[in-house]
Amino acid sequence: MKKVVFFFLLSILFASVFGFKVIMVTDIGGLGDGSFMDGTWSGIVKACRELGIEYDVIQSKEQSDYIPNLSKAAELADVVFAVGFLMSDAFYKVAEQYPGTYFVGIDFNNGQNLPNVMTFTFKEQEGSFLTGYLAAGMTKTGKVAIIGGIPIPPVQRYAIGFLAGVKAYNKLHGTNVEGKLVYANSFVDPKKGKELTHSLIGEGVDIIQQACGGTALGIIEAVKEENNRISNAKDLHELIDFLYENGGFYMLGGDVEQEWQAPGHILASAIKRVDVASYLGVVKAFNGDWTSGNVELGIKEEGEGISRMPYTKGLVPNKLLAEIEYLIKLVKEEKLIIPSTNEELEAFRIGKIEFPF
Amino acid sequence: MRVLEAIFLVFINPLFYKITLTAATPLIFASLGGVYSEITGVVNIALEGIMLLGAFTSVVFTWLTGNVWIGVFMAVVSGVALAWFHAWGSIKWAGNQVVLGTALILIAQGITGFLMEPIFGKPGQTDFVGKVEELRIPGLADIPFLGKIIGETSPFVYMAFAAVAFSWWLIYKTKLGLRMRSVGENPEAADTLGINVYGIRYFGVLMSGVWAGLAGAYLSVGEVGHFRELMSGGRGFIALAAMILGNYNPVGAMLASLLFGASSAFANQMQSSSLIHVSATVKPLFDMIPFILTIIVVAGFVGKSHVPKADGVPYEKEA
Repeated sequence: MKKVVFFFLLSILFASVFGFKVIMVTDIGGLGDGSFMDGTWSGIVKACRELGIEYDVIQSKEQSDYIPNLSKAAELADVVFAVGFLMSDAFYKVAEQYPGTYFVGIDFNNGQNLPNVMTFTFKEQEGSFLTGYLAAGMTKTGKVAIIGGIPIPPVQRYAIGFLAGVKAYNKLHGTNVEGKLVYANSFVDPKKGKELTHSLIGEGVDIIQQACGGTALGIIEAVKEENNRISNAKDLHELIDFLYENGGFYMLGGDVEQEWQAPGHILASAIKRVDVASYLGVVKAFNGDWTSGNVELGIKEEGEGISRMPYTKGLVPNKLLAEIEYLIKLVKEEKLIIPSTNEELEAFRIGKIEFPF
Repeated sequence: MRVLEAIFLVFINPLFYKITLTAATPLIFASLGGVYSEITGVVNIALEGIMLLGAFTSVVFTWLTGNVWIGVFMAVVSGVALAWFHAWGSIKWAGNQVVLGTALILIAQGITGFLMEPIFGKPGQTDFVGKVEELRIPGLADIPFLGKIIGETSPFVYMAFAAVAFSWWLIYKTKLGLRMRSVGENPEAADTLGINVYGIRYFGVLMSGVWAGLAGAYLSVGEVGHFRELMSGGRGFIALAAMILGNYNPVGAMLASLLFGASSAFANQMQSSSLIHVSATVKPLFDMIPFILTIIVVAGFVGKSHVPKADGVPYEKEA
């Protein structure tokens, strides 16, 4: 028995000496959300397959799991990913204790600078600015909304960008579209998302942006129900035809292209390329061109954007699509700065934009 | 004044009442489960776990068979199975009921999380598997105000109220109900009179599995057609509060569940209202309304409410 244990330990030792290993630790959201976590994971998997690195994931079930999970990962791996704003505190505590391990944090940055720590944050406001602008241009009722999960900074930036997009559209087109913000206070409660969506639709909202993880399953379901109630569409073609002629209800996805989850019912998605961030993190650690500190990804760095709208692009007027493209160009050229705090949103006045068409 | 106007508009909106009913439905089922178990003298805080397992099983079997009602049935079966563990540990082995209940919640969270990968090939959440369609009752749906509330809604909502009526009848009007209550009040006396204390308690706990399983099925295939890990979202605990607030009585538990459902619907409507502007930092407070109500009401009422005397006390026959 002792021999077996000895060889087992020895093999672990060998593995840890020779193999380069990446471990991702999730927050309580966990894998399988079809957006944020899965996106990050796909970036890690892609990088590791290309470079022939071992990779693994540890999922946290409770907040109190963060420190033990991160410590365990730090002992087993060369690069540890902590994904999700809620892990911020635990992340920095553990990173200090294991200076020999690379730590990559996704979606948070508390300003602390450790040589072995690299963090990625996103300008979520830039992606949701585009969907907010699109929503304001597409609404038939003059009311659009965003449902946030828990009011943590990334979600707040989502909301601010969305509302800024609505504001910009109103200014440029002289319309008076109302943008609402509500919170579900959970990332994993689809029933709550469905109730909120019905409430919003009852108040006259017809387009809803999600920024609430798994809670969004309920938004999709409610939107489907409402569309099926007004149309008798049997398949996607009939549904799109119906929506083109009469309008309907839409959800706007978040983080990754979510359209496939409910074709026709999801108008577009605000894209947050977490996969780009995690890919970069792995590559930089492996190649040795490690740079500590924070990297902020926005439209300019191709870390934010709007989805390709595979099913619903035909529903959007060409002029609106062109305007969005133009806004993307302005943001890239830094001629248009999207607000990221409530104060900036209040002060946000989009200047005179001459569309060249 | 705008706030008052907004509140007034909420109360004349049929949607508010409809959402109250759908938000209360899982609480009604689960709190009924609590009532069955606790009047026979077994504390059952495992409701949260049973709901979660029920939600999961119904999605799995709906996905496998393509029939949502088979899914719902299997949710009940799984609920009874998990409740059986609770009964076995707390009745046969006289274990600490709160500890056992907590363990079962953790087991349910573990099982559902673990089985996602082998069954659906991905963790976290499932794809859409199918759901119970809303039931439109022809004559009723055409009545102006009322029709919008109960004319077209999930069949589970009607089932919940039928279940309350049935439970009230069973507990207060039948011999079995009398035995259940007597076992919860004074098991020694009941035993002396020849009542099978263990059998009655098993019945109570297993029935709680039936109702909590249904509550779980409603959350997944009844409403959204997906399963999401931890989707029960604390409703099992709110249901326990509803049961205590409802004085361990099916009708009382239903009323308390409706109150919690209404506070949740009210929070939704206020958040969505165009009339008032609520700053984003205050919004999470709305969701605390049910919990604040629970604390106020439970603290204020617990003196008056009648707790079954042997609730939580394992019964051990003297040799």
